[in-house]
Amino acid sequence: MQSVRLNSISELTLITSNKTISNDITGIFSCDLLSHVMGFANEGNILLTVLNNINVLGVASLMDLSCVIFTHNIEVNKSIVEKANELDIPLYKTKLSTAETTILLSKSGVNN
Amino acid sequence: MEHYSKQYQIVRNDIGNAGTVASLTKRELKKRGLSREFVKKVIIGIYEAEINVVIHSYGGTCDVEINDEFIRVTYRDIGPGIECITSAMTAGFSTASKIAIENGFGAGMGLPNIKSVSDEMSLESTKEGTILCIKFNISKENYAVS
Repeated sequence: MQSVRLNSISELTLITSNKTISNDITGIFSCDLLSHVMGFANEGNILLTVLNNINVLGVASLMDLSCVIFTHNIEVNKSIVEKANELDIPLYKTKLSTAETTILLSKSGVNN
Repeated sequence: MEHYSKQYQIVRNDIGNAGTVASLTKRELKKRGLSREFVKKVIIGIYEAEINVVIHSYGGTCDVEINDEFIRVTYRDIGPGIECITSAMTAGFSTASKIAIENGFGAGMGLPNIKSVSDEMSLESTKEGTILCIKFNISKENYAVS
């Protein structure tokens, strides 16, 4: 378990209505291929992706990921945000690149 | 626990609903007290196979059977079939459409992932359709420690 308050990181914007992360954060997983997320991500990982589609939520839910961060200032579809609220999966977005976000999270205390 | 048997329809290119079988089966497996690690392994196999039917076939069915000894999931689609099973089983080999790739699929990891997580896997394919059967054996060690 890592006590990282993502909401206090100014570069990250919470775009869903849930205020807390129910799954413990266990690390970072950056990927835009869902088969790789299914095969290699671990429960509680933060997923960093530019993949703006509903299947990201399906995989996040199946794998019990802690949250999803959309990098590179991706504009997330409203339907995805609504579905994430239903599934209680926190979504964040950031202007940073995936690599920059990984470094930021690492400096903020998220370690694999 | 009682025998569980469900049949699902899988619709061609219905990417928005892909994962329904995996999600509902995960719920049943957790209800049965199986461990997180075991459930994860089973769900990876079920999800990958479900996605394959959605993105590669003209549609089909999925039968899920669960008892105390095993989980067996059988996918039957109505074509167009796998041209070369040997190539399809190779990690990284993909014939996925542009739409599938844009949606995060088609990495060519589906069948290799399914094989690696399952205890038994059989795959038959003709132009008229493909039948994939995957089985996961359940032992005492696969239950969560309470």
